[in-house]
Amino acid sequence: METLNNLAFGLGVALSWQNLLYCFIGCFLGTLVGVLPGIGPVATVAMLLPFTFGLEPAPALIMLAGIYYGAQYGGSTTAILVNIPGETSSVVTTLDGHQMARRGRAGPALGIAAIGSFIAGCIATLVVAYFAPPLAELALKFGPADYFSLMVFGLIASVVLARGSLLKAIAMVCFGILLGLIGTDVNSGVIRFAFGWPELGDGLGFVALAMAFFGITDVIFNLEHKEKQEVFTSRIGSVLPTAQDVRTCIGSIARGTALGAILGILPGGGALLASFAAYMVEKKVARPPRMFGQGDIRGVAAPESANNAGAQTSFIPMLTLGIPSNPTMALMIGALMIQGIAPGPQVMTERPGLFWGLIASMWIGNLMLLVLNLPLVGLWVKLLAVPTACCFPRSSCSAASAPTPSTTRSSTSTRSPCCRRSVMCCSSSTASRRRWCSASFWAQ
Amino acid sequence: MRIRAPKDFWAGLIFIAIGGGFILLAQQYRLGDLHRMGPAMFPTLVGALLAGLGAVIALRAFLSDGERVPRFYARPIGLSLLAIVLFGIALQWLGLVAGVAVLVLVGAQASREVRPLETLALAAVMIVFSVGVFVWLLGLPLPLWLNS
Repeated sequence: METLNNLAFGLGVALSWQNLLYCFIGCFLGTLVGVLPGIGPVATVAMLLPFTFGLEPAPALIMLAGIYYGAQYGGSTTAILVNIPGETSSVVTTLDGHQMARRGRAGPALGIAAIGSFIAGCIATLVVAYFAPPLAELALKFGPADYFSLMVFGLIASVVLARGSLLKAIAMVCFGILLGLIGTDVNSGVIRFAFGWPELGDGLGFVALAMAFFGITDVIFNLEHKEKQEVFTSRIGSVLPTAQDVRTCIGSIARGTALGAILGILPGGGALLASFAAYMVEKKVARPPRMFGQGDIRGVAAPESANNAGAQTSFIPMLTLGIPSNPTMALMIGALMIQGIAPGPQVMTERPGLFWGLIASMWIGNLMLLVLNLPLVGLWVKLLAVPTACCFPRSSCSAASAPTPSTTRSSTSTRSPCCRRSVMCCSSSTASRRRWCSASFWAQ
Repeated sequence: MRIRAPKDFWAGLIFIAIGGGFILLAQQYRLGDLHRMGPAMFPTLVGALLAGLGAVIALRAFLSDGERVPRFYARPIGLSLLAIVLFGIALQWLGLVAGVAVLVLVGAQASREVRPLETLALAAVMIVFSVGVFVWLLGLPLPLWLNS
């Protein structure tokens, strides 16, 4: 009952015209970058971080969150029609989704992806609303030792879940910790590695680091690596799946949602892991195991529901523990810190409007996305013809407007995305570690 | 001995350089001892760990085959970074308008497919956009012109 009251309160916050507007902007941008291959939600959130300086905390987070889960909707469109995943989390959707498009069933594939995502989104919102408060209450009792263990757990998880070389992942974790050491030492008060710049006393600017690792490197990478795409837009037909399709899929959507919701909470998880796991499970469970890989609609419904559920429940560790479970959440923490809010369990009690408003906005955002995606799918398809060159100088401009002069120094262009992810998560956790340390330091 | 995994080899060397660099820079601070750690202690330890991992990664490159180093694209990397540095300098001395112009004009050179007219138009749009959003809407204290 209390949760329902809180949700109603959150709806009140989310339904103010300002928050609705930013929610819409976020969902719109999210769908856009989801549809366009080569630019992802992480880079977009990184680019938009500077814009949130002038905003209130609630609309800022609502907009950034919209980008993240909006991209999960948009990513499926490209995966189904072009056979190129718009997002990493829709890689598995290409397997069956594109085959469906080949057989002239692109419409129902897009439809079931959007409907599955919507159902998953609604349920995941409830999961967040019911699970986050008890977890936050537990987290309020945490002492330094508990937080230390959580940090170590987070660092280990980012190593374990990184793709590619294990050694390199650990090395990048070390590099991230080293970057987090720049600034004032909490024990002695000495300013380390600042080269006489007083600006570096607070550590490397989070926005600068995020832009360097996710914005600029992506742009440079895409400048030289042209992806060839053949757009499969012949005829989409009706996007409404038949009653038969819905009956086949209802179980897949439920399984995908459950799996995604659980995996999203784990550090290092989120949408990517959820979609892969859901597809695997579906392949094992579905009866009859007809034609996975050849255009089975359940192979679209399950991962698409899972990645949306995972995208939303990955907010739980971020909101309650202040621990990023993936790079996007690391950026969200950055957005909170820009607003002068220390991420952690106290956010829920000290800023209930922000907390519940964000949760409620997720549900509203899902509704908006359903409207944006089902009738307007033809519009997004046309966007696939946009050359990436047009997006390039804009991003470096907003990069440069991050108000720290240290932007360029941190942009070591490390190619592999998993490594960048470890660095980002680590330097952000070291930074928040510093925050906690300094908090306990002042408390003494 | 032959380097069989060039990409890992160079990655290892970069890690050694970063770790070593942090250790060297940390020496200007007090090391302290394990009982009372000084500000130099933690960076030295983590830097040593990173350098050690780098050495292992580099040595393993002699033992097993791996990827080659892909072509190093100096043009996009160099020009993009140059554009940002120039923007930072121009913003302080010449103001936002000139800074954005420099940023777009230099940054656009990073791509092979530049068309001068498009770039100029883009610069104009970006100037209007950044002045409108950052200065007027968000009210960031950025100088617009040379001496304002």
